[in-house]
Amino acid sequence: MKQVVVHPEKCVGCMQCTVACAVAHSSSRTLYAALLEEPLPRSRIHIGSTRFGRGFPNRCRHCDPAPCMRACLPGAIYRVSEYGTVLVDPDKCINCASCAMACPFGVIRYHEDAWAQPGKTVAVKCDNCLSRQLRGLIPACVEACKSGALGFEEMDRAQRRKTDAVSDTVWSTSGVVLPAAGSIGFELLHAQKKAMVEMAQTSRA
Amino acid sequence: MHHVIIGNGIAGVQAAEAIRHLDPESEISMIAAETFPPYCRPMISLLLEGAVTPDRLPIRPGDFYESRSIRAFPGVRVTAIDSGRARLSLDTGETLAYDRLLIATGADPRAIRAEGKTLAGIFSMRTVSDVQKMLDMLSSCRSALVLGGGLVGFKAAYSLLKRGMAVTMLIASGYPLSMQLDPVSGGIIRDTLVRHGLHVETGVEVTAFEGSGRVQRAILNDGRTLACDLVVVGKGVRPATGFLAGSGIDVDLGIRVDEHLQTTISGVFAAGDVAELTDVVRKRPWINAIWPEAAAQGWIAGLNMAGRSASYQGSLGRNVIRMFDLDIMTAGIVQPQEAAGTTQVLTHLDGNGPIYRRFVLQEDRLVGFTLINRIEKGGMLVSLIQRGLPLDPEEKRLLLL
Repeated sequence: MKQVVVHPEKCVGCMQCTVACAVAHSSSRTLYAALLEEPLPRSRIHIGSTRFGRGFPNRCRHCDPAPCMRACLPGAIYRVSEYGTVLVDPDKCINCASCAMACPFGVIRYHEDAWAQPGKTVAVKCDNCLSRQLRGLIPACVEACKSGALGFEEMDRAQRRKTDAVSDTVWSTSGVVLPAAGSIGFELLHAQKKAMVEMAQTSRA
Repeated sequence: MHHVIIGNGIAGVQAAEAIRHLDPESEISMIAAETFPPYCRPMISLLLEGAVTPDRLPIRPGDFYESRSIRAFPGVRVTAIDSGRARLSLDTGETLAYDRLLIATGADPRAIRAEGKTLAGIFSMRTVSDVQKMLDMLSSCRSALVLGGGLVGFKAAYSLLKRGMAVTMLIASGYPLSMQLDPVSGGIIRDTLVRHGLHVETGVEVTAFEGSGRVQRAILNDGRTLACDLVVVGKGVRPATGFLAGSGIDVDLGIRVDEHLQTTISGVFAAGDVAELTDVVRKRPWINAIWPEAAAQGWIAGLNMAGRSASYQGSLGRNVIRMFDLDIMTAGIVQPQEAAGTTQVLTHLDGNGPIYRRFVLQEDRLVGFTLINRIEKGGMLVSLIQRGLPLDPEEKRLLLL
């Protein structure tokens, strides 16, 4: 299951993701028509400013278990398990802001939305662009991000890459020349590890 | 293994689900004083206001008990617990044996001392039937009196104002929600309510209600008379522990429990508004009778009952209220009692919005806050309090932005 992965160190604060997100959640899904819509579509990804004035793309993590879901009084927040996505049902939402008090990342906003009843203020948050994913597209924020701060990939792969990046940094600052990933040394290590895992599995079976 | 849960509020429901989650086999019984299926208590004020219909209140599907193989005892009260023999006495005359017991009976409204308090038209606002009775009477009411400026009184007053009634609120302090708010934010809220037609009386009490069968007026302790045909009593709640006499279960402010939510009797647990836990910022026994705490405590009690050791980190009082054009969020300690050298209060007020932010820190750790408007990131602040992380000067400055 692919997820949006944030690399805040690469964010340049250009806000392109917020524009793309707002357009993707408009009725018309085109920038020029979206500007004339009522209510004006708003972004579900928020660029925060960190203590050094750098950008930080802040979006819903679709936590599991999700604190917002447990806090929701009318049961309007639910999970679509096959996509690992937490959604808000705008018809059930009573705009009580209990989810704002529960979300440790502060990513839920309250306003009118193209997908809710006209005139009704509801809780609005990232939906992982499910409607785009169903059309074979990646989330709009990721598509718009040109600095590589937002990626769309399998979580365990992203984790592995992060581990590699950390080890690269440690080795490179210690002056030791590290073989590039995918070199013979790494292949050997991987093969050895794989064999060990397989042996363990056969001995258990 | 037979699990018995007393109470079908959110704590009881979460506990039943946690037990089923880990153990599809064991027997579960739920005893509930109400006959209504499990519903969302905090939403009853929305029913009074007219913002939701009764069908929106249930928190679980209609087949909640059957689909989870739970034996339900609706409309039944427990009269006594014999913890030595692990048996309950019910008001139906039956007895019920248990292996693990959860007491999640919640809290009852605190009674008032006034003559004529049994007249028709005088309500507490705790259950859906309280509100339904109020709604039945509403068309024949013009002026309402709300006793107490706590959360219940506040929500009742707001809902009745929205219904177009003339509402008078009697409060001991100068502003509503004085337990949750400091004078500045309390004043902003009082002024907003007054602007929308609320009449506030401070420093007076009702000594008697009068009327023929139904309440018509209230007599105040300063001798005045107030006409009213509906009264809502919101003077706080008391843990529902009356049936525990002689059970051997230790009751202090509420039922005393350890970090596994187990009472002083092995195999007997308590969760929700009835349970007394350590407050995460006050560092002493406390009852935070709020929905999210009850939900979390119920779940953890259920895990422990099913044999999975899970511990609770302590409870934190918090609330969020939306009224007219104000959003209000508070958590933890709002008014520090002791002006110790390590206590620091940071405030920011922008009167135009208005936007108000107030933070209480002890030993550089956030222990409480009040936000008026711009509440979206309140969850981050709640998390900061729960984690107890020390903040440096730059981080404190960022809080106020």
